[in-house]
Amino acid sequence: MSGAAPALSVRRLRKSFGAVVAVDEVSLDAAPGEFLSLLGPSGCGKSTVLRMVAGLVEPDAGEVVLAGEDITRVAVHRRNLGLVFQSYALFPHMTVLENVAFGLRRRGVGEAELRPRVERVLELVRLGPLGARHPRELSGGQQQRVALARALVTEPRVLLLDEPLSNLDALLRDEMRVELKRLQERLGTTMVFVTHDQAEALILSDRMVVMQGGRVEQIGRPEEVYRRPATPFVARFLGRANFLTGTLAGVEAGGTVVALDGGLSVVAGPRPGLTPGQRVQVAIRQENIRLGPGGAGSDRANRFAATVVFHAFAGPAHHYVVQLADGRELEVAAPGAALALARGARTVIEWGPEDVVLLAGSESAAGGSG
Amino acid sequence: MTGARGWGLLLPVILLLLVAFLLPVGMMVPTSFRPYVPLVGITSGFTIGYYTKLVTDSYYLEIIGRTLALGLTVTLCTLVIGYPLAFFLARTRSRWRNWLSILVVFPLLLNLVVRTFGWIALLAQNGLVNQALQALGVVQEPVKLLFNFAGLLIGLTHIFLPFMVLVLIGPIQNIPRDVEDAARVLGASWGSAFLRVTLPLSAPGILSGSILVFVLTISALVTPRLLGGPTYQVMSTLIYDEFLQRLNWPAGSAEALLLTVMVLVLVFLSGVLARGTGARA
Repeated sequence: MSGAAPALSVRRLRKSFGAVVAVDEVSLDAAPGEFLSLLGPSGCGKSTVLRMVAGLVEPDAGEVVLAGEDITRVAVHRRNLGLVFQSYALFPHMTVLENVAFGLRRRGVGEAELRPRVERVLELVRLGPLGARHPRELSGGQQQRVALARALVTEPRVLLLDEPLSNLDALLRDEMRVELKRLQERLGTTMVFVTHDQAEALILSDRMVVMQGGRVEQIGRPEEVYRRPATPFVARFLGRANFLTGTLAGVEAGGTVVALDGGLSVVAGPRPGLTPGQRVQVAIRQENIRLGPGGAGSDRANRFAATVVFHAFAGPAHHYVVQLADGRELEVAAPGAALALARGARTVIEWGPEDVVLLAGSESAAGGSG
Repeated sequence: MTGARGWGLLLPVILLLLVAFLLPVGMMVPTSFRPYVPLVGITSGFTIGYYTKLVTDSYYLEIIGRTLALGLTVTLCTLVIGYPLAFFLARTRSRWRNWLSILVVFPLLLNLVVRTFGWIALLAQNGLVNQALQALGVVQEPVKLLFNFAGLLIGLTHIFLPFMVLVLIGPIQNIPRDVEDAARVLGASWGSAFLRVTLPLSAPGILSGSILVFVLTISALVTPRLLGGPTYQVMSTLIYDEFLQRLNWPAGSAEALLLTVMVLVLVFLSGVLARGTGARA
């Protein structure tokens, strides 16, 4: 990471509600200007982390440090942070203008300076002419933009976003994603973004923090986390993958050989830290499996005869379930442009060693919700 | 058609309103213009004397003013006492919540006369309240708390407090916590967030609670009669005496109609106010 002091730093944060530990020793840093997302299933503690940063929830232990200043005990209204809620949380009895001006007025900004600042930020989120309206007269997307403008106008040190796009319909959500990302790049505001939507996190983040059960599973750049998940949970949560269990058979020149429980074996890339004889899990993403009679010259290390047992067309992709010789079934996503294979068709599937994610341990029941 | 079906659903209420409210009130209108001659009764003829008396005679004006002042003061008192209570009940996650709610409603389960006599015992010249005040050295002489404004205020506030609290709880519960949190994150202290966000957003509840308590107060009969005695009159006790003591139905009708008009004007004005402030949750 860069040498600059982190804009926001969370150190060993803990919070329990009754007997339930919601956040367990969570530590993370956000560099200045970074878009950091907290990703995880509902109830993983990501929102609680955000609320503790905002000061709305008091941590049991740990520290929240903002640009080098410990703000763990600072009152909510003195933190100078921005927070965008999933529900937007606009003030229904105020106009858009008054909503956006609220934060500036609390900071004692004079009317002369206030007006242009409010108008500038409304322009920024493309709401220029709607200042006199009340929130209930706006669409969901417009309300979301008011919430964004209201949080941005005070120029917060860090902008926190709690599932801000979840209440929008799919099309609008895609649009707002792009808008949010461009806004962030333009303003250079440090943003911490909470979401349960892995696609959203992958697209928006500079780095992402995957959480489960109140703990951090993995922190990294989206590509890193997607390609090299650190735990079975992360592998399951990001994209759909086939999980196979087996034993590490040996390390060869080409990579690592895993003897699967059914009798077949697969070749994975080199992976230090594992010893032969160890139980391992192998994850192969659906879209990494190539389907169809590859040319005779195919040198893919993993190549198996298979029978199509299920097929469905889903627009950009064909979804297949294929059965291998040992009776095991794998899910495969093939490009939608390819010709469909009928049920019962005999074919060949293959993937490269680099497509295999090798994970220690054999827990196959790791709770992975989709 | 949905319109026709909608009216169909309203029919029982409309009929009830017609028979139990509009008809009797309507019948009072002609009565209020008939001259009443003592020892003879209601005579045929026409007079607007009862109305002119109501708005010119200082005796009646004082009673009307007193009734309105009592309504306003009781409403204000129940609001000031009731709002924090309703706020607490709306927000608490205590498992005692339901019991506390029952405690609020509990006074309503007791007979009105019994409750009022309780207050007479407490507020009397040598009652518990005066004894306590004297023992604490707050006052030297006993304070007059019965048969005057203070007595009515205390009694009516106590009786109508549950109504205010019950009406307020819903609207306060409906205020999303996120909205208050948003205000605080934006730099408002707890007090500022309360004044600028929570209180304005509970306006619909405050308005309906106030109307309810005000209307109940100015039309209350039993409590003012018992705590005010035969001489300290409000409009409802005046109307009662007119009809049942003096048998002067025309005067009673005029007074009752004035009270009805006052209530209707108030309800209408509050409707305008609600629309004007845009107070809706």
